[in-house]
Amino acid sequence: MSLSLAFLEFEFMQRAFVATSILSLSISPIGAFLVLRRLSLAGEAMAHAIVPGIVIAFVIAGLSVVSMLIGGIIAGVIVASCTSFLARRTMIKEDASLASLYLISLALGIFILSSAGSAIPLKSFLFGSTLGIDDGTLILIGATATITLFTFAFLLRPLIMATIDPVYFASQYRFAPLIHQIFMFLLVLNLLAAFKSLGTLMAVGLMILPATSARYWVRGITSYLVLTFCFAFVSCWAGLIISFYVSQVPTGPAIVLVAGVFFIISLLISPLGFRAR
Amino acid sequence: MIVSCHAMTIGYGSKALARDLHFAVKAGEICAVVGPNGAGKSTFLKTLLGLQPALKGGVTWHGEGAPTRAYLGQTDEFDSQFPIRVRDLVAMGAWHGLGFWSHVNGAKQQAVEDALAQTKITSIADQPLHECSAGQLQRCLFARAIVQDAPLLLLDEPFTAMDQTTQANLLDIIESWRQQDRGQIIVLHDLNAVRALSDTVLLIGQGESCFGKTQEVLTKDNLVKYGYYSPMQAAWLEEGAIS
Repeated sequence: MSLSLAFLEFEFMQRAFVATSILSLSISPIGAFLVLRRLSLAGEAMAHAIVPGIVIAFVIAGLSVVSMLIGGIIAGVIVASCTSFLARRTMIKEDASLASLYLISLALGIFILSSAGSAIPLKSFLFGSTLGIDDGTLILIGATATITLFTFAFLLRPLIMATIDPVYFASQYRFAPLIHQIFMFLLVLNLLAAFKSLGTLMAVGLMILPATSARYWVRGITSYLVLTFCFAFVSCWAGLIISFYVSQVPTGPAIVLVAGVFFIISLLISPLGFRAR
Repeated sequence: MIVSCHAMTIGYGSKALARDLHFAVKAGEICAVVGPNGAGKSTFLKTLLGLQPALKGGVTWHGEGAPTRAYLGQTDEFDSQFPIRVRDLVAMGAWHGLGFWSHVNGAKQQAVEDALAQTKITSIADQPLHECSAGQLQRCLFARAIVQDAPLLLLDEPFTAMDQTTQANLLDIIESWRQQDRGQIIVLHDLNAVRALSDTVLLIGQGESCFGKTQEVLTKDNLVKYGYYSPMQAAWLEEGAIS
């Protein structure tokens, strides 16, 4: 086996490639619509907001995918509800209340993880590790991708209309308020699916960077979704290979850095980047 | 009669913007909604769309339930950077009732082409939305409303920032809707346009409202009473300094 393909001999790397490939398929439409709906920072905030839920579940039930999923979803729902409550009842707007709550959540999560003497190194928790991808994680990623892609197949049209012209959309469809909730649920689900391979700090990077890079190249929604997936997929593969050969580099930052290179190249040479101005 | 309301109060939360609101629109009639900024004109449209509950009273639909309502909002409600072609935006008017999978084709596709031609945007039909000017974007939204084929249209300040040519084209479309017996409720600021266009006026301001024939409602006393003109502007009006 040549040096360049040596990483494929290891089962944990094979699992990592399968996991991140499926994850790219699932995470890229979420990232594309986070960018289009101008929710990129809300996505980032949500990724940190679910940390205490995952940590508490881990402390209580150990490395159980189901308990971490439930913990993460509960934390996500609590933070989203509190954000919306604070925005409605106080003078602080949604962005500031979300920022306040996610910082508290992240600090709380890291505090509990450290004080409970966790078996998971903090670095793996924050930045991901290929070693963490067990059967349960693969099933979670597969199930998340299935749910996400089916939901998108059904809701793509309403989601497009809700993004372009929200008041018009709400005037035409009775289920309009549900669209945002469903989208935020899919966001939390995908963040949880990405948590083990990319870590809580980096998971949202694979959502946002391929989507912002692709936005510089395309003029239509279909090509946008396809190119976002391509950037995410190649970032995952390149990032995993880099983290395999460069010792001590966790997978999350390696993958996000490759996605960052795509972003900078797109910014510089794409038709809708700097050249368009 | 398409829609009416009697003694309705509109507003947000516990804050009432206009009380005791009376209003009605018949088929083929244009009602202009006039008032100072913040009076509740857009809130009134959102109440008719079912997006904002009335604080008291409600809307009565004369027919079998609420009809399809085409809505054309202010341009700042709209995201023109979305990666979609003009043609696809116009086709959105045919999405309602299409289900999740079906495509716009046959008669609906023809309606899209006709609407593009009527609004004079066939030449930019395959252009992405972010390359459209404000006038072209407004024509797209009018084309979408044409495709929607709704018996009632609600338009919120449709001529803001439009040049004379675009405005003339859009006025033609509004006139064609009148001839097709569609009801129209249009929020307008330009009183000359209101006088030229509307059959009735709903004047909202100072927490109250007044509804009736255009000439009867748009008097100087009413415009001052409901806060559209300040007393000083009214004095200038008397001197003929402004019209």
